[in-house]
Amino acid sequence: MPATDNSAGKMGAATEGTRASERLALLTADNASVPLPASVQAITAILLAALLIALPWLGLGYRFLSIAITTIYTAIGLYGLALQFGQAGIMSVGHAALMGIGAYTSAILSVQLGWGFWTTLPFAMAMSAIVGGVIGLPTLRVGGQHYIIITFCFCALFVIVLTNGGTFTGSATGLDVGSVTPLPGINFDKLSNNYYLVLAALFLALAATYLIGISRYGRTLRAIRENEQLARSVGINVDLHKLGVLMVSGLFAGLAGVLQLYYLRHISPTLFGAFPSLYLALMVMLGGARYLYGPLIGAIIVNFLPEVLNLDPVDSRIAYGVCLLLVILLLPGGVSAGIKNIYCAIAGGSEGQGGGSNGRA
Amino acid sequence: MRQLGLGLAVAAAGLAMALQTARADEELPIGVIAAQSGSFVSAGNTIVGAANLAAQQINDAGGIKVGDKTYKIKLYIRDNRTDVNVSIAAARELVNDIGVKAIWGTETHDFSVSMAKITGPAKVLQFSGNSSLGAVLDDKAVADDGWLHYAFQSEPQEWQRSGSTAKGVLSLLTPQLKSPPKHSVVFVGNDATGQYLSSHYVKALEAEGQKVDLVRYPPDTTDFSPLLTRIKGMKPDIVHFWYNGDSTLTAFPQALKLGVAPSYFLFGVDPGIYQERSLKADVPVTLSCVPVCWGSSPFPEVKQYFDKYFGLGAAKGPQSSVSLLYYDYFFWYAKALETVGKIDDPDAVVAELLKSDYKGVVSPVPLVFNKHHQVTFATEVCMVQPNTSDQFKCAVEQPPAAPPPGDNGG
Repeated sequence: MPATDNSAGKMGAATEGTRASERLALLTADNASVPLPASVQAITAILLAALLIALPWLGLGYRFLSIAITTIYTAIGLYGLALQFGQAGIMSVGHAALMGIGAYTSAILSVQLGWGFWTTLPFAMAMSAIVGGVIGLPTLRVGGQHYIIITFCFCALFVIVLTNGGTFTGSATGLDVGSVTPLPGINFDKLSNNYYLVLAALFLALAATYLIGISRYGRTLRAIRENEQLARSVGINVDLHKLGVLMVSGLFAGLAGVLQLYYLRHISPTLFGAFPSLYLALMVMLGGARYLYGPLIGAIIVNFLPEVLNLDPVDSRIAYGVCLLLVILLLPGGVSAGIKNIYCAIAGGSEGQGGGSNGRA
Repeated sequence: MRQLGLGLAVAAAGLAMALQTARADEELPIGVIAAQSGSFVSAGNTIVGAANLAAQQINDAGGIKVGDKTYKIKLYIRDNRTDVNVSIAAARELVNDIGVKAIWGTETHDFSVSMAKITGPAKVLQFSGNSSLGAVLDDKAVADDGWLHYAFQSEPQEWQRSGSTAKGVLSLLTPQLKSPPKHSVVFVGNDATGQYLSSHYVKALEAEGQKVDLVRYPPDTTDFSPLLTRIKGMKPDIVHFWYNGDSTLTAFPQALKLGVAPSYFLFGVDPGIYQERSLKADVPVTLSCVPVCWGSSPFPEVKQYFDKYFGLGAAKGPQSSVSLLYYDYFFWYAKALETVGKIDDPDAVVAELLKSDYKGVVSPVPLVFNKHHQVTFATEVCMVQPNTSDQFKCAVEQPPAAPPPGDNGG
């Protein structure tokens, strides 16, 4: 009897263990390709938009709002990185330099020609897109870690050029610009108006990312990411699409850079060096590059974690490192994947098979 | 019943007096934004240390009498984590959420400039000890409607500091060398502050008859030997380690090992640190402090200041003397408020600061703001005798009256 009991106990424990591992696997799986029901997606989008729009009215203070602005323009840049990494599988650790191209293009046009925010914005975005494409040329021959090293070198080179650029780039001291040119009745010197400006840009970035994600173009990028040779063999112009997505990524980076410039109203090379670039890569991995809200979540974690936990820079870096390790080990799809999996676990597996467009980018 | 009535009357009178006292001691909110963590922590902590000491002394002395009210300083100290975004958020919080009347900080040019774009429109006074602000403090910027009208540079113009330092270094080293020095190499970190500072120092040395070569090293360099070997090949009479005492303390021992030059100048390294680290060289070495040294000051008021400053628990570091770029201005600001008689009239306070002077600790000559909101005072330079760590001879050379040829001021 005792033997039977033990056996049953072992079997029960084994079954329980299997269930636990299944639950863990369910919670940690990267099921970016599993779509959420359209109603859930719509409700999430509406709630998120409502929360973001209402933020200045919640009485959280100027400090909170300032960090929210920083978070949002960072997230906009991250949406570009998420497109090239999450959709096309091209990682970069020089993305801050692309933001810097946009910021410096805008600042130089402002200083040299007296142009304002709205006039310089398209030029800055275009310049970032062009440079993004030019840096992307090596992706036609190399990939993976080799391209990552190239982007890192570009970042370092960019800072050296800016630092030694004389009065044209403002050297290490940097460049100053004025306020965002007001629109009728809207003065962007007011912090809440500045917030709504970057928020509008975020909504554009979200919409663009979503539309790309569900489009044929998005599917093509994912096909390249999954198997470049196979994609080529079925007639996809892989080279063109790779350069294309890097240019689109550059557009996002340029927009983010200009918003950063006009928020700080002063830029210098240190803002666009290797360290900020690594942080961007960290944010996109933490949040989840393949998920629509992944970049935003990554930016929120990195920008607000030191505020919430009152961490100094050294503690912050340790915390980020630990978070990154946990994400790599437990949530390869990022925190977004974890949130989605928790939702699926609560709502039941059937909901995960709902129709409509999915929750990924 | 009469006793009860009397008791109530006494209690009411006591309450009224207490309320009166409470009203008399109102709060003057002042913000401090400094790096208490991150890479600029050694400079940032000095701002906080100076602010705490000044506020304590002013409050202990009875506060600031403005009109018929007495104000006690309430400091709101924010750590910027050596991050411009946190600096901006902190400035927004202090200006808009708390409503401070003035802000002290920060320690870096970029952060101070971005902060000034918040303090300026809000008419909040800002005292920043960055000499590189001279690059943007011009007639237009400090005009009544200028974006730096409420910003003050609490460090001398760089050409003044460079001139004072160059004269001090050469006057101390020349008698120690076999022949008068003619060739100097300025070795500087290639960042915003380094570029700005060295551009003026090179001109100052040239004005003193030196042939000058400039060698820049990337920020965060730890192995200086390749560049120092190159400098040795230039056969300089003096190598000037210019700017960033922390980097200099790494590079200088490497230079001694390589025997790069027959004499050295270490900018921003206090004799106190030289002594604490038991540094020793077989050649003459000069040191300068920003602006006066805590380790070997000949001025009693400076010594008293640093005794109190360190007595409050501030750490002894290469940049401890930077605290003196912030301390005096609390008293000067308080004096201006008392003269104006209002705390809510920043324009009047700015005007008062520009027309008044203040004899502080940092300078035996009263401090005066020029039309670009900059002060003037000398820099102390000390020489350590060869093969010793604690034998110093110090000199204070007054800044030149005008920028040297080729230096456009600022």
